[in-house]
Amino acid sequence: MSDRIARTLALSLLLVALPAFAQKTLRIAAAADLQPLLPPLLAQFEHETGIHPDASYQSSATLATQIIDGAPFDLFLAADLSFPQRVIDAGRAEEAKPMPYARGTLVLWTRNDSGAPLTLDALRTDAIKTIAIANPEHAPYGRAAQAALQHLDLLNTVHAKLVIAENIAQTAQYADSGNAQVGFISLTSALTPRLKGDGHFVRVPADAYPPILQGAIVVRSSAGAAAAHRFLEFLQRPETQQTLAAEGLEPVH
Amino acid sequence: MDLQALWLTLRLAATTTLLLLALGIPLAYWLASTQARWRPLIEALTTLPILLPPTVLGFYLLVLLGPHTGFGRFATRLFGHPLAFSFSGLVVGSVIYSLPFAAQPLAAGFRAVDAALIEQARLLGASRWRTLRSVLLPLSMHSVVAAAALCFTHTVGEFGVVLMIGGDIPGATHTLSIAIYDQVQDFSYAAANRTALLLVSISAIALVLLYSRRSREGSARG
Repeated sequence: MSDRIARTLALSLLLVALPAFAQKTLRIAAAADLQPLLPPLLAQFEHETGIHPDASYQSSATLATQIIDGAPFDLFLAADLSFPQRVIDAGRAEEAKPMPYARGTLVLWTRNDSGAPLTLDALRTDAIKTIAIANPEHAPYGRAAQAALQHLDLLNTVHAKLVIAENIAQTAQYADSGNAQVGFISLTSALTPRLKGDGHFVRVPADAYPPILQGAIVVRSSAGAAAAHRFLEFLQRPETQQTLAAEGLEPVH
Repeated sequence: MDLQALWLTLRLAATTTLLLLALGIPLAYWLASTQARWRPLIEALTTLPILLPPTVLGFYLLVLLGPHTGFGRFATRLFGHPLAFSFSGLVVGSVIYSLPFAAQPLAAGFRAVDAALIEQARLLGASRWRTLRSVLLPLSMHSVVAAAALCFTHTVGEFGVVLMIGGDIPGATHTLSIAIYDQVQDFSYAAANRTALLLVSISAIALVLLYSRRSREGSARG
């Protein structure tokens, strides 16, 4: 009697648990600058393939550390090539080289009511007292902003005006809250409805900084590796690349 | 070793602790002695900063200190510069962030003092200020020490608020906890370990000093 109860219980537990194994999921570690534009693409991917993608958004540095330390992700979409390279160096990636999937654009942004003149030359003048950039030590857009300032021979002049945000999203908060008069942010942030409504931007000349190539890797021996490869193919399709371009991430080629 | 960040952190923690004692003692005295019906509301408000995640609190402070609020404009005039990304801004943020750690132990200490003693002091003609100075504070010195220790260490270890309103400026807002975070983000684990060891050591030494003082007082009294 108790045997039969035990068997019934075990069977029903199995039936309850099975769908969790059968359901295909893809766990994506995504750089913070993708947060405004990735969700619709994830929905489209799920609609086409039946694979359910789950994305966690963090700074690329944090995600790389987590993956190296064994976080259960299948795919890493970083904001540059150096952080996926770190995962490769740690032996946690399938690829030998990060796969570039998009190119970021750096813009100079200000609120409409800040009264700040929005040109790179104006950064030199007394009209601009605070400039927000992301941390050049570990944020890809911060690195690009510093390179651009150096290239334009502005870095020494504006050094005392710089306030350093932890990542590109916080840089936008510094500028959008009015605490910094202008900010070097990503085109993806500048094109979000919130920042589009609050301010305007100019593009930093593309030859002023090394291209911000965003790279991806598939995490070694992850359960969703096959799904991760399908998502990378999906990401490189011309239609997907067009959608990304409209939101501020240009095709690589 | 980042001595500038260490000095800045100690300066921030000491300034915050002094300000919080100056603010917290009268506030706690009022909380412990008032019959006002809105006392629970004020007490709840002083506890609120624990409730919000520090980065969220920091985000609201960033907005509050900015040029789009009346408070932000007033503070900019008062200090002569915008408060965000400055040492004064960090002090304001830290005082709000650590307020519960001053008000709660102080109020608890004041409440534990025998009400009859306070009544006698008042009957003998002592003013409220004199009662506080000569009766309440000496009898609840251990709570004052506990509040100071909590405020100091809580400010030394403060991270989310500083991250949000600091702007990572060396000598002004680049504190030890931010230094550790930056080092971890840069994969400089050895440097991060050294800075963390420094942070833990100074906090531990400060605590040992404070608590040894407390036990001396305890044994002197006992």
